[in-house]
Amino acid sequence: MTRTSSLMLLTVAVALLLAALPLVLPPFYVRVGQLMLYSAGLGVAWAILGGFAGYASFGHAAFIGVGAFSAGLVETRLGGVPPALLLPIGIVVGGACCGVLSAVIAYPLLRLRGTFFAIAMLGVSNVCAELTNNVDFFEGSLGLTFPTVVPASLDPAIFFYELFLVAGLVVLLIAWKIRDSRFGAGLLSIREDEDTARMLGVPTERYKRTAFVISAILTGIMGVIYGHSLGYITTDSVYRNDTNLNLIVYSLLGGMGTLFGPVIGAFLLVFITQVILGRLLDFHLFATGLLLAFLVLAAPGGVIGLVRGWRQRRKRTGAVPAE
Amino acid sequence: MNLIAQTLADGMVLGGIYALAAVGFSLIFGVLHVINLSHGILVLIGAYLALIFTELLHVDPLLTMPLVMAALFGVGYVYQRLLIQRAVDSSPIGSMLLTFGVALMLQNVMIWVFSPDMKNITPGWAFASFKIGAVTFDAVRVSALLASLVLLSCLAALLKFSALGRVIRATAQQTLAARLCGVNVRHVYALTFAVSAAFAGAAGIVIGIILPFSPHDEATWTLNAFVVVVLGGVGSPAGALIGGLLLGVVNTLTAQYIGPSFPNVTMFLLLVLLLLVRPNGLLGNAFSASR
Repeated sequence: MTRTSSLMLLTVAVALLLAALPLVLPPFYVRVGQLMLYSAGLGVAWAILGGFAGYASFGHAAFIGVGAFSAGLVETRLGGVPPALLLPIGIVVGGACCGVLSAVIAYPLLRLRGTFFAIAMLGVSNVCAELTNNVDFFEGSLGLTFPTVVPASLDPAIFFYELFLVAGLVVLLIAWKIRDSRFGAGLLSIREDEDTARMLGVPTERYKRTAFVISAILTGIMGVIYGHSLGYITTDSVYRNDTNLNLIVYSLLGGMGTLFGPVIGAFLLVFITQVILGRLLDFHLFATGLLLAFLVLAAPGGVIGLVRGWRQRRKRTGAVPAE
Repeated sequence: MNLIAQTLADGMVLGGIYALAAVGFSLIFGVLHVINLSHGILVLIGAYLALIFTELLHVDPLLTMPLVMAALFGVGYVYQRLLIQRAVDSSPIGSMLLTFGVALMLQNVMIWVFSPDMKNITPGWAFASFKIGAVTFDAVRVSALLASLVLLSCLAALLKFSALGRVIRATAQQTLAARLCGVNVRHVYALTFAVSAAFAGAAGIVIGIILPFSPHDEATWTLNAFVVVVLGGVGSPAGALIGGLLLGVVNTLTAQYIGPSFPNVTMFLLLVLLLLVRPNGLLGNAFSASR
């Protein structure tokens, strides 16, 4: 069996296991699970641009916010539509708005590189948040209540848990397809050396823009579901600067530029902050900062990097007869 | 007419302070090519140290400046040698995230030590003001501006005329060549960081006497510094001054004519516009290869 297909089987097995978990977990852990799956989906969506192409965005919360608010504003105006249709409509609207926004800002922003791009995205996120908060039409400062979409027979916590699981898997599969395609190879070449890639005939501009738009749409869709799971959102609950940061930390913790890195990173970080440090709210900033500094200095490859290094060392020592 | 003159004057005064708060950030960016996201924390440490010294020694906050600058000079040197140096040669994102991690930790420590409440070190003469023509100036703001201008000139002179300044500029222009000529690059990096931290501390005092401050402000000052540097150009006090004045004027004009809740929108639109049409900043790069 090839490596890819065994990985695929493993993913399916883990996904089935995760899908069955809420039946046995206590409610608090179902909520933590929601957050893990949501974060993992966001992390992978971020990594399509930030990990594969190396354009680390510091402002992806912009798309969470735009997705959630555009979907909410449309849904609250659709009085007569059956609740089962509302969520799909919201997802289409949220995804479309993020797609259009990202396609427009891609032209100026993707001309910037490295830290300049990162900070410009932070600017985009702040500007979107400020507009949502101050333009009355968006209702950002008052808050926006989503219509109920959960069927009455289901527990909302479990419903959203499964929804995040499905959405996260879709994002993961899309990222997987992208990485194994010609497009994905092009993105990796942009990360390694953009000028050389361009010289060798990789359409870097088009690839970067496409990756940016895909990443934004997927992030927006996660945002729509997140908005529904909260039920009521204000500007501050979706445009969060700690989300902006955490999306980078997920990849850094799991392994920058890898497919499963953001998933591992998101699971670990949510577990650390919500379960281990759940009672120590005062300590969160310090712990995140310490983790960040430690990762940069000691383990720039993240968990996957550590495992790979360990495997290589074992192979090398295994090849030479030890006795 | 009066209103616009007053708005412009207020913007210039504010801009001088932005410039002082950004000049250290700009220096580190120009010499080490590191985006120091803990810069705002250094500014706040300056403000809190001034608070402590003012209460201990019962003097005017501006007089604590030498002490605060000396303390932060030492802190900056050690911080660079122990932490930043290890990340200088990795990717730019790496050193940026390292400084961000440090900023988060120090912000948390500040909240523990000083509480999350607003503090201020506004001196007794803060409410005096005077008029030139029809434009009113607050004495405290004008003295803050004067302090900024004096300090910026000192830094410019230091960089231009002193032996240390020459070495710093040489390292910024061609690190390898400087090393070949016998410059101890690590030491110069650390000294640059120390000078920059000292100026951040001085900026903290100047900010402290005109505005209340709390540990949550650090991100504002880091972002302001970044915007000022992108507007003005990397690595020179003159660039920081131009960028700071521009930012100050834009801020007050926006607050006056568009609405007090939109300064970030105009600031970042201006930033993105400038990154597009003139990525090197208005004064160009004082030092080459800063990206």
